[in-house]
Amino acid sequence: MDFYFGLAQLIGVHTLLGLSAYIVLLTGQVSLAQAGFFAIGAYCAGMLTVLAGWPIVPALGASALAGAVTACAVGFPALRVKGLMLVIATLAFGEGVRLFFFNFDYQIAKGDIKVGPLGGEGFRQIRYFPEHGWSTLEVMLFVWAFVAASMALLWWFDRSRYGAALRAVGEDELAAQSVGLNLTAVKVSAMTVGGAIAGIGGGLYAHYTTHIEHSSFNILVATFAIAYPIVGGLRNVFGTLAAVVFVQAFLVEGLRDLGDWRNLLFGALIVLAMNLRPQGFLGRRRRA
Amino acid sequence: MRRTRIAILASAVAALAASGALAQDKTIKIAGFGAKSGVVRSFGINSEAAMLAAADVINKSGGVKLADGSKAKIAVEFLDDRCNAEEGISVIRRIAGTDALVAIGPTCSNVAEPLFGILQKKVDDKGDSGLQFPVFTDVAIKVGLAKISEWAFRNVPNEMTMYSSVFYWLHQKNPQLKTVYGGVEEDFAHSRASWHVIMKDRAQANGFSIAGESKWLLNDTNFATQVREMKKANADVVAIAAHPFTTCGVLKEMARQGVKPKVLVGLTSSSSMETLQGCAKQAQGIIIPTSFAPVSKDGKFAAQQTARFKGSADLHSMAAWENMFILRQVMESEKISGKPGDVQADRRRIRDGLAKLKTTNGLLGVTKRTDDREADKPYLFVQAKGNDWVVLHNPL
Amino acid sequence: MLDFIQSVTDGVLFGATYALIGIGFTLVFGVMHKINMAYAAASIGGAYAGLLVLKVTAAAPPSLVFLGAFVAGGAIGYFVYLTCFHFIPLASPLATLMSTVGMLLLIDEIIVHATDGMPQNYPAMFDDVMLRAGELTMRGDLLLVFAISVLCMIGLLALLYRTRLGLATRAVSQQAVAAQLCGIRVGRVNATTFVITGLLGGIAGALIGASVGTLSPLLTTPLTVKGLIVTVIGGLGSIPGAIVAGLLVGGFENVLQQFRGVTERDLYVMLLLFAFLIFRPGGIFAPGSGRD
Repeated sequence: MDFYFGLAQLIGVHTLLGLSAYIVLLTGQVSLAQAGFFAIGAYCAGMLTVLAGWPIVPALGASALAGAVTACAVGFPALRVKGLMLVIATLAFGEGVRLFFFNFDYQIAKGDIKVGPLGGEGFRQIRYFPEHGWSTLEVMLFVWAFVAASMALLWWFDRSRYGAALRAVGEDELAAQSVGLNLTAVKVSAMTVGGAIAGIGGGLYAHYTTHIEHSSFNILVATFAIAYPIVGGLRNVFGTLAAVVFVQAFLVEGLRDLGDWRNLLFGALIVLAMNLRPQGFLGRRRRA
Repeated sequence: MRRTRIAILASAVAALAASGALAQDKTIKIAGFGAKSGVVRSFGINSEAAMLAAADVINKSGGVKLADGSKAKIAVEFLDDRCNAEEGISVIRRIAGTDALVAIGPTCSNVAEPLFGILQKKVDDKGDSGLQFPVFTDVAIKVGLAKISEWAFRNVPNEMTMYSSVFYWLHQKNPQLKTVYGGVEEDFAHSRASWHVIMKDRAQANGFSIAGESKWLLNDTNFATQVREMKKANADVVAIAAHPFTTCGVLKEMARQGVKPKVLVGLTSSSSMETLQGCAKQAQGIIIPTSFAPVSKDGKFAAQQTARFKGSADLHSMAAWENMFILRQVMESEKISGKPGDVQADRRRIRDGLAKLKTTNGLLGVTKRTDDREADKPYLFVQAKGNDWVVLHNPL
Repeated sequence: MLDFIQSVTDGVLFGATYALIGIGFTLVFGVMHKINMAYAAASIGGAYAGLLVLKVTAAAPPSLVFLGAFVAGGAIGYFVYLTCFHFIPLASPLATLMSTVGMLLLIDEIIVHATDGMPQNYPAMFDDVMLRAGELTMRGDLLLVFAISVLCMIGLLALLYRTRLGLATRAVSQQAVAAQLCGIRVGRVNATTFVITGLLGGIAGALIGASVGTLSPLLTTPLTVKGLIVTVIGGLGSIPGAIVAGLLVGGFENVLQQFRGVTERDLYVMLLLFAFLIFRPGGIFAPGSGRD
C-alpha cells in the first residue's frame, strides 16, 4: 500500500506543477519558467523547516508567496515577448534559477553537523515528515489537500468572469483588448497564481524527497510542466490530472514490466498522443 | 507381472516424492535497482548481470540455508530507476511492498541521497516513520552517504585511502615529480568532492604541491581555456576528476595543444570501458585506482559468469556480485526464516547482520567494514594500455 | 590582454558549431513558424548513424562517415516531419511543440539503447591542426566548421532566393493558404524543408562530434538550448543572423568563463539573451515583418 500512497504523492506534486503551467497556458503563454518557481518554493520551504524550524504549513505558505512574488516579477517583462520568444525567455529564466541554486551556499551548524543548501552538493536531510512521524498515507492526504484546493480554485476561476477573461486573452488578444480587458492585469495575474501553485508544489517536493539539488529542477522538469496541460487538454483542470496519471502511473510505473521497451515507448506514445488527439485528452477540437 | 507392478508403483512413488520435493523449493527475493536509461545505462545492465550471475552460482550450489534447515533459491528482480530521485523512491517503496528481503542499488548518487533520506534514520526510533528496508549499495559512490540512515549500507571503494596510496606510490617511485594540476567537473557532486576534498588533500599530504586547477561542467564540450591554463602551469602530474565524456574531451584538447604531463591520474569510476570506447588513444597511460581487476581466481570466475549474462565486470558490477555473496552469508548467520509472513522480521535480521559485519570477502581480498556502514576495500592501480585496463601496481 | 583575445578567439571558433545548429532551427521556424525541439537530437542522431559506416568498413575515411551522417540526417528529418508536423493541424501549435519534445525523448532513447549510453569516439578531420597567428593559436578543425557554415548559408540563401523550390518555400512561409491557391503543394514544400534542414543537421551533428571528439547523449540538451538561444538572438528566420549569433554566443560565453568561472558562465549567457529580448527583440537581423 505504501507504494501506492507514494505514487499518489508523486502524482499530486506533479499535478501542482502541471496546474501552475495550465493557468498560464490559458492566457496563451507557453511558460517554461514554472520549474524555476517550483525550485524557489522547494528551497524556501526546505530552508524554513530545516534551518528555522518552522512547521510545514507556514513554510509552504511562505514558499507559495515566494513563488508568487517571483512570478509576478517575471510576468511583466514576459508581456513584451510573444510566441517562441516567450518560450525561450522563460526557459532561460528557469535555467537561470537553477544556476543560481547551483552557486547558492547557506549553511548553519546544527549540533555537530552543518545543514542547508551547499551549491552543487544540494540540500540534504529535509526530513520534516519522517521526523514528525507522518506515515505515507498522511503525507499523501496532506499533498492532496493542496492539490484539491488548487483544482477547486482553478475550477472556480473557470466558472467566473476571471476565467472567461483568461481564455479570451488566450484566444485572441486583440479582440480581448477591444472589449476592454486589461491584458497586463490578466497575464500577470495568471502568472502570479501559477507561481504560487508551483511554489507550494516545490515545497512539497522538497519534503517528500528529503534531498534537493540544482539538477532536480532542470529543463526536463520544465518541459514536463507544460506537457501535462498540453497532453491533457485545456478544457478544464481534470485534463492536467489525467495527463499526470497517464505519464506517471501508466507510462512510468505501469509499463515497468516491459523492461527496456518502457523508455522507448515513452517518447513514442507522446508523439502518438499528440497526433491522435492534438487538442489533448480532455480538449475541445478547434476548427482551423 | 508382479515385478513390473512393483516397478511402476516404485517409480510413481519416486516421481511423487520428487515433485513433492520440488514443490517445497523455497525462494527468497533480492531486488536490484539502478539506472538502465540514459548515459549511465551500462551501469544498470552490468549490475543486473552480476546479480543474476551470482544468484545462479549460489543456486547451483544449493541456495541459502534457512533457519529451519531447508534451502531456498535466490530470485533476483532488477528495476530501472532512470537515475531519477523521485522514481528511485517510488521503486524502493514498490520493492518494500513485495516480499523482497533486501535491495542492492542504486547506481546514481543523486538517487541514493534522497532514497536514504526516506529510510528510518535510527533503527528503533518509534517516532520516525521512515521506511524500514535494508539497502546495500553497489555503485553510488559520493562520499559519506551511508551515515544518513542505519538501514543503508555500502560496498563502494574509499577514495580517500586509494588516492592517498596513489600519490604516495607516485612520490616514492618518481621523486622528481613535484607538482599536480587538477581538472574537475564542478557540477557533479562525486567528481567535485573527489578533487577538492580527496585528491588535492592527499597529493599535498604526500609531498606534491598543487600547481592549479581548472573547472568545467559535466556536459561541456569546449576545453580550450582550461587546457591553456593547464599548459601554462606545466605540472608534472595532471589529475582529472571527471567522468568519461568530459575526460575524453579534455584529453583530446590536451593532445591538440601539445600538453603532455609526465603522469596522468583519473577518477575511479572512469576506469571502465566507457573511457576506452570514447578515447582509447588519448587515454593511454592514465593511472586510476580501482577496487576490481580480474587478477585472482575468484575475480576471473566472477567476470566470466557475469559475461554469461551479458554484462561486463568492473568495479561497480563486481561490487554487486560481492554484495550477493555477503548477503547470503548474512542471511545464513542471522538465520532468516524465509517464511512469507515473516518478511519484515527477516529484513530486520539482514540489517542487523550487515551492521555486525567487521569484514567481508571481496574479489581482491578482505574488505573492512567501517562504523558508518561504509567499506574499506582493497584496491590496485590500473593503467590504460591498448584497448584495455592493465594492472599497473598491486599494493596488496 | 593576450589571454582575453585568445579567449575570444577560442570561443568564437567554437561558436561556429552553435551557428551550424542555429541555422537549422531558424530555417524551420522561418518557414513553418513552428519550433522543432527535436532538431539537435536529430542532428546528433544523424552523427551516430554516420558511425554505422565504420561498422561496415572499419577503415573508412572520416569523409565517408560524414556522408553517412548527412544522408541519415535527411532521413531522420523527414521522419520528424511525418510524425510531428504532417498530421497535426496547423491550428494546434502546442501539439506540434509537444510532439517534437516526444520525438526528442525518443531519439535520445534510441541512441542510448543502441550504444548503452557509452561515449563513442568520433573520427575527425584536421583535429590536430593548430594554426598560429603570432602568439595566438587557432583550431584548424573549427575553422573548417566555420567555412562549412558559411558555405551552407550561401547554399541555403541561393536555394531560397534563386530556385523555384525556394520561391515556393517563401510563399508557403508568408501565406500558406494563398500559396496553395497558386498551386503550390504545401505538404511537399514543408517536407522538403525538413529534409534539407535534416541534411544540414546531419552534417552539423557530424562536425560537432568531430570537434568535441566524442559523441554522447549528453550533447543533445545543451545543443538544443544553445540552438534556441542562438536562433532568438540572431533573429527568428534569419540565416546570417544565426551564424553571427552563434559566433557571438560562443565568444561571449568563453570570455565570461575566463573571468567569472565556469559555474556562473551560463547565467551570463541567459542575461545576454534577456538583454537582447529587452533591447532588440527582433534579434540581430530582424527579418522584415510580413503582413499578418
